[in-house]
Amino acid sequence: MRRETQNIVLVLLGGALLKIAVNGTYLRYVKPALQPWLIAAGTVMLVLAAVAIGRDIRTARRAGGAVPAEAGHGHHDHGVHGGNAHLGRPPRSPWLLLLPVMAIFLVSPPALGADTVNRAAPRPPAAGDPAKSTAFPPLPAGDVVPMKITDFVTRSAWDGTNALDNRAVRLTGFVVRDPAGAAYLARLVITCCAADAWPVKARLAGVDTAVLRNDEWVDVVGTLVPGSATQGNQYVPTLTATDVHPVPAPADPYEY
Amino acid sequence: MRRPAGTRRRSAGGLAARTGTIDAVTTATRAQPSRVRRRITSLEVLCALLVLALALQGWLNRVLDVPALRTGSTVFVAVCVQAMPFLVLGVLVSGAIAAFMPAAVLRRVLPRRTALAVPVAGAAGVALPGCECASVPVARRLMQQGVPPAVAVAFLLAAPAVNPIVLVATAVAFPGRPEMVLARFVGSLATAVVTGWLWARLGRPEWIAERALRRLPATEGGSRWAVFAETARHDLVESGGYLVIGGLTAAVLNVLVPSGWLAAVGGQAALGVLVMALLAVVLALCSEADAFVAASLGALPLLPRLVFLVVGPAVDVKLIALHAGTFGRSFAVRFAPLVFVVAVGCALAAGLVFLS
Repeated sequence: MRRETQNIVLVLLGGALLKIAVNGTYLRYVKPALQPWLIAAGTVMLVLAAVAIGRDIRTARRAGGAVPAEAGHGHHDHGVHGGNAHLGRPPRSPWLLLLPVMAIFLVSPPALGADTVNRAAPRPPAAGDPAKSTAFPPLPAGDVVPMKITDFVTRSAWDGTNALDNRAVRLTGFVVRDPAGAAYLARLVITCCAADAWPVKARLAGVDTAVLRNDEWVDVVGTLVPGSATQGNQYVPTLTATDVHPVPAPADPYEY
Repeated sequence: MRRPAGTRRRSAGGLAARTGTIDAVTTATRAQPSRVRRRITSLEVLCALLVLALALQGWLNRVLDVPALRTGSTVFVAVCVQAMPFLVLGVLVSGAIAAFMPAAVLRRVLPRRTALAVPVAGAAGVALPGCECASVPVARRLMQQGVPPAVAVAFLLAAPAVNPIVLVATAVAFPGRPEMVLARFVGSLATAVVTGWLWARLGRPEWIAERALRRLPATEGGSRWAVFAETARHDLVESGGYLVIGGLTAAVLNVLVPSGWLAAVGGQAALGVLVMALLAVVLALCSEADAFVAASLGALPLLPRLVFLVVGPAVDVKLIALHAGTFGRSFAVRFAPLVFVVAVGCALAAGLVFLS
């Protein structure tokens, strides 16, 4: 790939990173803390490309109106360049940078959802220390307690104080139907990027689940079926829902 | 394609004197076919590709509307987006070394004997915070500045695994188990140093692609910033491409490898170690995230999880692609198995010392 083309690809890639960092789409792929890093990386790419393009144009002008294609060789003569220019064979790998660029601009892959949940192996919630099972703080007061699904699942398995029994909770997540037809309310948890996502889920009961479709975001109010999270079902609790209504997908689809 | 055309123009411009007779002969023999092909440059190919992609956008989105492909494309973009900032950090450091750290300075800083320089380079890895993608361009730049490959290799392996960010992440992921942090630190540093020593002993210069070792020409003081910008830009477009290969591989494996593997190995120690080592290679997780993944695998004992943490930053599919592109294929096919064996060995040794 020629030098000028590399610079254009670099502008596209930097632009793609800035685009997702600014419009919030980056939350589908990475954790929120990475936003300043993405903006910095995109800016550095744009600056490096702009510097190279500027130098090429200046060198070309100095060479007397020659086309920019000569600029690369102008640097060659001044000894300012990276490794491959010497080989006479321009590197081919920069072509691959177009893949993420096109994926971001044209396809804009959605956040992970039901497919990942069904694909993932069951992973019991952490903190299986029986000595700490009473260390959970009391639930906040109020008729309905809003909770993260992670907290709900962890408490259902390990909370020795059984604070969740007979308490109505509000959970937000997407619907997952497993191959057997059971419906779950799920959320994916990520630590760095979507490649390390793992699911947390609660089985839905008490409502007509046949109408719920995969990846549909819903707000669910319900109560835990005490003792439903057991070692046998990989600590997936059952939630008796009293109210299920669709909500728009949140800006940040993951839990942390 | 570019060179004959350029050289031809340069001859026309009267600059041919310094290129010499041999170059002139090659130019003459090559100029013939290139005159025909010259019309299509990569710039036009790029434009055509972009137009084609825009025209096919609807079709592309329909094709990708299969759950497995959607998941794969999200993981692919996630790996690329997550790694790019660290790659940018790496190429900036690499550019700074090229521009502001002359070979003579590096030689003064590092012990003259390779056997001593290897542990020094390993310990220096503590200073480069970031994921493993950042250390590849830096290690290559060190080689170009005349640092022996074995020493650069030690830095390459140590930097992503023993830096403060990764160690803090490990401590957070394994609360109340400081021995895990210690075992990871010692296991990873030992992997770097042992591999460096082995490479000093067994490695041959011809295994590393010539382009990775070529010295940069000495530059006059005024253009240092130009060298910095150009080196960083060049490293970025080139390594970035290989990072994309790694991201693709990770995405495919993420969808295809049945994660039921883990449930099956359960408590069997030897099998668990092997499966976790292979899993570290195929999952290609960022070294700042792998501790959390390892922590969540509560069904496994600590030792296989330590192996996962030591092997992952040293060798995985994304790194193999980056190494093959940066140092050449004959380097990668020897380096990856060597590091895998050394890393598993060092992790087991560190685990037996600190975790039992």
